Amino acid sequence: MTDTTSVRDTILAVLSEVLFEPVEALRTEPVLAVHQWDSVISLEALVRIEERLAVSLDLRSYHEAREVDDLVDLVVAAGASVNVRL
Amino acid sequence: MDDVNDLLAALGTAVAERRTPGPATLDALGRLEDPMTMQAAGRILKGLSADDGGLRPVRVAVQATFTAGPFEQLLRAALVGAGALPAIEVGAYASFDLSLATNAYAGDGDPDVLACLLADGYLLPAGWSAGDPAALVAHLDARVAELRDLVLASAERTTATIALHTVPMPAELRDGLISWRGRSAVAAAWHRMNAALLDLAADHAQVVVIDLAGLLADLPAASRDDRLYRYADMPYTVRVLALLAQQVRRVVQARQGLSRKVLALDLDNTLWGGVVGEVGAGGIELGGLYPGNCYAGLQRTAARLREQGVLLALASKNDPDLAERTLAEHPEVLLRPAAFSARAVNWEPKADNLRRMAATLGLPTGSFVFVDDSAFECGHVRAELPEVAVVAAGGDPAHPARSLLRHGWFDVLELTGTDRERPDLYRARAQRIEHSAGFASTTDYLHALAIEVTGSPVTEYTAPRAAQLAARTNQFNLTGVRYDEATTAAMAADPGRLVATFAVADRFGDEGIVGAAWVTVTESEWRVENLVLSCRVLGRGIEFAVLEWIARRAQAAGAPVLAARFVSTDRNGAADGFLEKAGLAPTAEPGWRSLGLTDRPDTFPTWIRLRDHR
Repeated sequence: MTDTTSVRDTILAVLSEVLFEPVEALRTEPVLAVHQWDSVISLEALVRIEERLAVSLDLRSYHEAREVDDLVDLVVAAGASVNVRL
Repeated sequence: MDDVNDLLAALGTAVAERRTPGPATLDALGRLEDPMTMQAAGRILKGLSADDGGLRPVRVAVQATFTAGPFEQLLRAALVGAGALPAIEVGAYASFDLSLATNAYAGDGDPDVLACLLADGYLLPAGWSAGDPAALVAHLDARVAELRDLVLASAERTTATIALHTVPMPAELRDGLISWRGRSAVAAAWHRMNAALLDLAADHAQVVVIDLAGLLADLPAASRDDRLYRYADMPYTVRVLALLAQQVRRVVQARQGLSRKVLALDLDNTLWGGVVGEVGAGGIELGGLYPGNCYAGLQRTAARLREQGVLLALASKNDPDLAERTLAEHPEVLLRPAAFSARAVNWEPKADNLRRMAATLGLPTGSFVFVDDSAFECGHVRAELPEVAVVAAGGDPAHPARSLLRHGWFDVLELTGTDRERPDLYRARAQRIEHSAGFASTTDYLHALAIEVTGSPVTEYTAPRAAQLAARTNQFNLTGVRYDEATTAAMAADPGRLVATFAVADRFGDEGIVGAAWVTVTESEWRVENLVLSCRVLGRGIEFAVLEWIARRAQAAGAPVLAARFVSTDRNGAADGFLEKAGLAPTAEPGWRSLGLTDRPDTFPTWIRLRDHR
């Protein structure tokens, strides 16, 4: 069973690390494109999200994600097990 | 400093304050293994511009046959953790061949190291046919021959050390062939190709080859993520790139003289099992079956390092007589007392003992690696001497031998004869210090040493040692300039230059080549561009003998003036004032001093016999 809140927290922590933005800024402005969400950063985030949440994502769906919650939904649907290592 | 967030915050502060991160921060950075944290650290460190001299500047060019992606960040973190201040230039995508063919990677000047990152896509034909393994084999043979030519031609036109690596055989190729015979033939060709790459190291002194394909056997992670490969031409996962970055770090560390020289070892529960003071020499675990074979394994590992020039030192809280007797008499001991160049077996704090042994050996504590099973001792040394590399040997005794080697603390590009003799040289030095206690004055003692200094123009055999001295010598390095082997060889071949090496011997033994000088020769003046002298011979007037040798040759060649300069660095205080004492007067040219050779003051030490050639 996946705890959506824990998944969101983990994803926000990863995004905060790779974008060098405080978590609060990402909560306030969850649209990824507003931040420095380029192809290099997005792949770095992908590797981190998959490692921390023990999940493997379809890259096509991943690239379609526009907001933080799109990533959360994607990870939850893939059956993430929370293995938080901040 | 164990917390990742603390580490990243400390790095951020150092970057903001434009200074070298503190020793504890550098130590924690150097021990990082998690590639994600390394990547984050590398991104922060991109802004590092410390000009306080705490890190050694190094220029690294990276040329990849694929998207290098996070490699730059990983390499930057690894290099700063090793004490370097890197300027990293990553070549444009798909420019590998062109850049090597034209040496475009050099930009405004040769980098110190060129890292060539290779992947199978560069070596395989685009549409290889599974039905014709023989054609595939022929293609691989031809491709590696082309790559070898490209690398060797580039090496001829640069002074950079070129680091490249073997390439793992892709699963697509291995499993794409269904015939076992065809699979074997192609695998054999692949191994031949990697062997041909490894042979480049023997074919050119400036080429270093990392066996990535072999290293991957020890990596508990996938080497390729097919999604990232197909989407972004990234054939290696971040874990493989981190492994590769650490290997390139080891090459840079070896080339720039940032490697360690001394291995300080604890005894109880490190070099043998048990506490000898409690169980007696007969009761320790050493040799035979587990766990005794683990301790014997660590001793054997240390002995092999010693064979390659690493100095061994003992740092043990123990009864010195019992420890000495056990080392001398226990039948399974591999490291007898004579194997140690310095010993501190007493009840004093280990950090103090490491400082004392460093002083005896004439080396900085930053050149030490310390191995101990006690978490307390490891923590104490880390706190007191954060510049010492600490290898924790607690827990299962099967692990320390590998833990000691995996970081590559002692790597050098090439072993010289002096490297192999170094442990005995330093042991003689310690004996010399003991011997000096019986003399009324330093001069009496120096006379009794019967020192001989021999100067020789550099040869193809001694150029590597001269370059090694330039890379490693900090304290007596007149200008801080570090001429590498290629530059040294080029200068030696130039009739307008003289590169000379200096060997020292005394009644306690032959120190081998301990100094080198790079001189520009003209009819009107000989200019010493740099002069370096190993710290282990300082305090005996050797530097005056070296200058005398150069002055005599200049005089014999008819030059009226000898000039040299001192450029202060953060670590060459030992050379400050030397030129003045040697009688060189300031000139109009900033930093330079000169000496008229026809009527020069006698500063040659009476206790040294100066010889020409060998």
